[in-house]
Formats: sequence, C-alpha cells, structure tokens
Amino acid sequence: MCARMHGWYSCRLQSEMWRMAELLIQQGLNWITLGCIYALLAIGFSLIFGVLNVIHFSHGDVAMTAPFICLALATAFGATSPTWLVLALVIAILAVGLIGVVLDRVVIRQFRDAPAMMALVSTVALGIVIRESIRHLYPEGSNPHAFPRLVSGVAFEIAGVPVNWFALLVTVLTVVLIGLLFVFLRMTPLGLRIRAASEDRVVARMMGIRDGRVFRATFFIASAIGAIAGLLFASYAGVTRFDFGIMAGLLGFSAAVIGGLGSMPGAILGGLIIAGIEVLAQTFVPDGASYRLVFVFVLVIVVLVFRPAGLLGRPLMEKV
Amino acid sequence: MQAEASAVAASPATPSKAAAAAFVVLSQLGGAAFLYFLLKADGGWQVVGLLAVLGLGFTLLEKFPQVAEFARASLASLPLLTIAVAAVVVVAFPFAVGSNTYMLHLLIVAQLYAVLALALNFQLGSANIPNFATGASYGIGAYVSALLAINFGLSFWLTLPLAALAATLFGFVIGIPSMRTRDTYLALVTIAFGVVVQQLLNNFDFTGGPNGLVGIPAPSLFGHSFADPLVIFGHKLPSQANFYYLSAALVVVAIVTAHRLHGSRIGLAWNALRADEIAARAQGINVAWFKVLAFAVDAFLAAFAGTIYAFYVSYISPDNFTFLVSVTIMTMVIVGGMDNIFGVIVGAFLLTILPEKLRAFSDYRLLFFGVVIIGFLMIRPQGLFPQRMRSYGGRS
Repeated sequence: MCARMHGWYSCRLQSEMWRMAELLIQQGLNWITLGCIYALLAIGFSLIFGVLNVIHFSHGDVAMTAPFICLALATAFGATSPTWLVLALVIAILAVGLIGVVLDRVVIRQFRDAPAMMALVSTVALGIVIRESIRHLYPEGSNPHAFPRLVSGVAFEIAGVPVNWFALLVTVLTVVLIGLLFVFLRMTPLGLRIRAASEDRVVARMMGIRDGRVFRATFFIASAIGAIAGLLFASYAGVTRFDFGIMAGLLGFSAAVIGGLGSMPGAILGGLIIAGIEVLAQTFVPDGASYRLVFVFVLVIVVLVFRPAGLLGRPLMEKV
Repeated sequence: MQAEASAVAASPATPSKAAAAAFVVLSQLGGAAFLYFLLKADGGWQVVGLLAVLGLGFTLLEKFPQVAEFARASLASLPLLTIAVAAVVVVAFPFAVGSNTYMLHLLIVAQLYAVLALALNFQLGSANIPNFATGASYGIGAYVSALLAINFGLSFWLTLPLAALAATLFGFVIGIPSMRTRDTYLALVTIAFGVVVQQLLNNFDFTGGPNGLVGIPAPSLFGHSFADPLVIFGHKLPSQANFYYLSAALVVVAIVTAHRLHGSRIGLAWNALRADEIAARAQGINVAWFKVLAFAVDAFLAAFAGTIYAFYVSYISPDNFTFLVSVTIMTMVIVGGMDNIFGVIVGAFLLTILPEKLRAFSDYRLLFFGVVIIGFLMIRPQGLFPQRMRSYGGRS
C-alpha cells in the first residue's frame, strides 16, 4: 500500500528509517539497563574511595558473589515460589554487605595508611582469592550457572518496541537506590558522619566521630549496593560465572574513575558512558561485540589523559 | 656480655679473605643445591621440608643481622670470585640435572619470569609507579617476533631487537599518560592498556585470534638448531638446555642492566621520584621523562623475555599474556623485595617453581598467589630481601 501511495523509493526509505528508530529504541533500552548496573557498581567504588581513600579493587568480585549466594540459598530452600526467591535475594544482599565489612576488617584495614599501591595490589589479590574460592567451594564452581530473569514479560510498548519488565525494574530500582543513598548521605546522622569522614578523617575524629563505625557502614552499604548490581547483572546475562567479577570490577572501576572517584553523580555518569560505548560498539561497528572492551578501555585512557581526575572529579592539588 | 656483642658487631665489617672466599663458594653452592632439591622434590612433604629450611634461614637472618652483613661484605669484597662461582654454577647446572627435561623447563620459565620481574622492578621497585601492563609488553615481544619469523622468515636473532624496538615504542606510549595521571588513575590506565592489547591479540585475524600462533621455528646458532640436543664435550644434554643457556644469558643481561641503571643517575632519579615527586621536581629532575623512561625500559626487557618464550614453546596464544600474568609478575617483585635485584630473582624462582611443585594444590595455584600477595603485604611489605640503603661511596 505504501509503495502505491509514495513510490517505491520513499517507501523503502521510510521502512529503513522505521527500522532504524526501532533499533535505536531497542539499543537505548539496552544502554539504560546496562548503564544502571554499571552505575550501581561504580557507586560502590566511589563511596569506598571517597571515605577511605582506598581502591577496593575486589569490589566487583564481592558483588558477583551475590548471585552464587542467592542460587545456593534457593537450592537450600528447595522452593520456587516468589516469596522464597525474594527472601533468598534479600539474604544474599545482606550477606554480601557483611562480606564487605569482614574483608575490610581482615584485609583492607591494614592498608588504610599505606601507599596507594599497596592497597591496590592487595585488593587485586583479594579479588583473585574471592574468585578462586567461589570456583573451588561452590559445587561445580568452574562451570557457568544459569541465573533466572528476576521478572519476565513485556510491560508496555514504545512505538512498537516492547519494553520488558526487567529493564523497567532495573531502571526504577537504580533510581530509587540512588535517591535513598542521597537521602541517607544528606539527611541522616550516620550519613553526615560518613560525609565528614570522607572530607577529613582526622578532623572528623576530633569532632567525636568514631571512624570505625563509619567505615563499617560505608563498606556495608557499598557492598550491598554492589550485590544488587551483581544480581541484576547475572539476571541480565541469564548466567553467572566465578570469573564475572573481574570484568564487573574493571568496568565498575573504570566508570567510577571516568566520572571522578569520590563523586556520586560522576559514578552515575561514568556508568552510563561506559555502557553507552559498549552498546554503540555492538550496534554500529562491524564485529563490534568482540571489540567492545577495546573501545571501552581506549575511552578510559583518553578520558584520563585529558581529564586526569575524571569528568566530574575535583583536580587534586598536592599539598607540600 | 656487652663487650662480646660489640666485638661481634665490629668484626664482620671486614671479614678475612679466606673466610670471605669460603663463604662465597659455599653459599652459592648451597643455593644451587637448594634449587636442585627444590626442583627434584616430589610430593608435598619434601617441598614443605625445604620451605621450612628456607623459613628457618630467614628467621636466622632476621635474628642475627650481622650474618647478613657478613654475607654482603664477603660477596662485595671478592666480586670476581663471586661472579666466577656463579658462572660455573649456572653453566654446570644442566649437567647436574641431566636428562630431566621437566626440571630444565621449570628453570627456563623461572628465568624468563626473573627477567620480567626485573623489568617491572624498574617501575614498581625503583620509582613506585604501578604498572599492570608488563604482561602486555611481554605479549607484544612474543607476537612481534613470532609474526616476523613465521611470515617473513626472519631469524630469531633478527627478530629479537625488532620485537624489543616495537615493545619499547609501546612502553613510551603507555608512559605518556603517566605524565598526567598518578597512583590509582595511572594503575587503571596501565590495566586498560593491558586489556586493550590482550583483546586485540584475541580478535585480530593476523594474530590467529584466540587460537594464537603455531609453528614458530626453532632458532639456530652457527648451524646448530636449538631443537637438537646440545652436545658439550661428548656430554649430551636435552634440547631444552639450548634455551636454558639462552635465557640464562638474558638474565645476565637483565641483571647487568638493572645494576648499571641502579647505580646511574637514572636509578637515583627513580628513587627520588619514589621518595617525593615534588621534591624531585624541585631538585631539577625531569619527572615526566624519567617516568616514561621507566615504562620504556620495562617494555624493552619484557619483549626479550617474550621473544625467547615464543621461540621456546613455539606456540603462543593471547591467554599467555593476560592481566593475571601482570599480577603474577607483580607478586614476584613484591615477594622478593622491591628494588632489590637479588630478591626479585629469588621471588621469581620461588613463585614459578613452588606452584608447580605443590602438585596436590595445582588447581589452587591462583588462590595460592592471592593469599601469598596479601600475606606478604600484611606481614612483610618490604619482601624477602628488603632494599638496602644506598651507599654513596663513603666506606666508613
């Protein structure tokens, strides 16, 4: 019909544009989903760095233990009803928060005042230990384990492109979490203490702020948010593996650094940028899927060369 | 008591010639014997026993610093004898090993890792610059030389400098961001470079993708192919011995380079950077140039190791040059002792041989690495052999 009305050429153009628009919306949804997950990971890196001045390189690995804990719990409960699943998810998130606190207590605390390199190398090693522990302790840990979509089905359509519940869930959850974190940091006494400690730990201590508590709270929150990101990531990929943590960590860390370590808006921006580059590479570059990490990390290098403190980070003046 | 203590403290400053000579010979033979038994050890308990011996040795050194002082003074007072004994030990080692190719293989890998650790030591140890891209430089060396040999039929001896040149250029490129970024940010830049190189090797067609490159021809020297057994004075050594001597020569080159650089103004500038970058700049040190130089030197040496590795195993794939390889090399530097040439080599040997020997734990090799790094950083951050204070010629 269209061909009769407008002639063949314009019809083809129209359908081409139509397809393009569909592709853009589809990839846009992908971008937002992935970007939210990366942003949640980046927030953890940024929060910990902001407060402790330490890079917790194994944050990605800590986050990716959540799907395994959740799977183990689901198997232990032996039930498939949604209530049990939600319970398993909540326990996994809390457990990962505690894992974060314990790791800080046992390992990271030792390097609080050491040169930055020491903390970095030791947490890289910690990441290896976590990955290998999952591999050896979890039954058949070296194999990929299927992880279910948390919600399925189509919520609504935008111009004929289905928007599934999962993308909606990820987006809403991320916005709510970021909002809660903002409220927590700005409007609660503990949030105030965390901000004070991140500004100047020594002065905060002189003001009577017990920094041990602040550190515990920071690690718990960062790890729990990371756990949510880990669960969403496994759910997005449909599968979880013991070595997902290294990529999750690298991408989350890159997002936090591009945005500017210590800056919350920076972490969100960084997550969206990294996810954007990945999706763009996959969509528009031939064979882009295999080269997506190359694009991501070249971008990281370029951003750091031109803005060494990240996009929204404050340039550091070194005091003598 | 006190007089005795002071006498003990004073006497080792100038050990007598005979005592020093005896120590030089015995300590090196002892070291070689330890290495031999470690390589020969079969089963967990023998390794554990040898480690106990090692641990005891370190405890004694720690308890009695004058012993360490004596050892250092003896080795320093007879440099020619030290080098001669070391040369004899290195040359004679394959004869002691005999036809055990597995032991020779471990030794070759350990020597290559020693070179890589020495390369990284220029940055991590001397200048305290994080670099997670040594694995990438190693890979570039291996791939450039392998590609030249396979596609253009160049000989090993020609590809060696060409690969080093390519990797050095890469080193300069990684070094450039180091002018603007520091610490954590710089670490991320080097990680990013490492991932990019590994991903490109994994995706390009001409590098063979994930399958890598196969059929790298064995090098030959004066008509003797390195794939053939080595015959010296009628004594036949397995073909691995060729590569053993080759990598030993590379270790010597690396040691001499490291030693000369450490003693030069460049090494001094790196140490100044480590101590305080702003103070170094105030002293008129061109901070940016010396940082970039550290990366270039690292890449240069790593490429040599990569070339020998490629020709030795005759098969390379991107999996040989991952981020974890860089972390492994970093572990060797940290365990051995930053900025201590001897310590770094010991670290490389121990961390190459031990995981291989703990057969029962072969699956747990990475876990072992992780725990070792964390343990060392917590308990002994200065490494097995801490760096020594520089002495500026004033012998008092």
